[in-house]
Amino acid sequence: MGKMKIKAKKGKAKVQIKHDMLTYDQAKKKGVEANFITHISATVGDKTVFEVSTSQFLSKNPLIKFPFVGNKGEKIVITYTDLSGKTVSSSKKIK
Amino acid sequence: MDRRKFLGLGLAAVAVVPATLSATDFRSTKPDTWTAHKVDEAVKALYGDVTLIKSEDITIKVPKIASNGGAVPVGVKSDIKAKTVALFQDANPESAVAVWEVAEGTEIAYGLKIKMKGSGTVTIVVEGTDGKFYTASKAMQVALGGCEG
Repeated sequence: MGKMKIKAKKGKAKVQIKHDMLTYDQAKKKGVEANFITHISATVGDKTVFEVSTSQFLSKNPLIKFPFVGNKGEKIVITYTDLSGKTVSSSKKIK
Repeated sequence: MDRRKFLGLGLAAVAVVPATLSATDFRSTKPDTWTAHKVDEAVKALYGDVTLIKSEDITIKVPKIASNGGAVPVGVKSDIKAKTVALFQDANPESAVAVWEVAEGTEIAYGLKIKMKGSGTVTIVVEGTDGKFYTASKAMQVALGGCEG
């Protein structure tokens, strides 16, 4: 759906998530509710290989990189949750 | 409050903390971390009153001068066997930026882009599997502040 760009190969993953990451300050200026990613996790099969809880201080459309354990051909699933409670998942085959 | 009682309370609080933090959403379990303004307050809210040991084994990669405070690339590398890794900085109104849960079998080699309102110091705290807390920090400058969007 174009919400996430995942690159996963050789044990290293790079994920770019499309998200405004509005901080409380920015949201106040725009007159809207602050909304930013609060948690990102990655799973391969049924194992969680990466997990981070985040704050409003990640960049807009944040790019994150992390190492993971997974084999070529397996699928890595990235899931993020944001302040509004929305959860979005996207998966990619590991190269 | 008589000091002995106070210390006792502190110990009791520690005992309640779960032994393992796997698959934890730190935002719900440690909400105070995210509202703490100063780095040491956020560290205390997240890990408790722990002694931070300065470690040479934590590498923080940040540009000396970031041209855009809205997207500062930060790299964290360490060989320390860790349970969690936390990133703080003192340039924004709240100091906590991210808390990673280190997956079994993976090394600490994280990269992410963060917002820095202005020049400041980035601090990393690594919660080792040995129960100790290691820290390292790096100062950097921001040419254009990044919180105003």
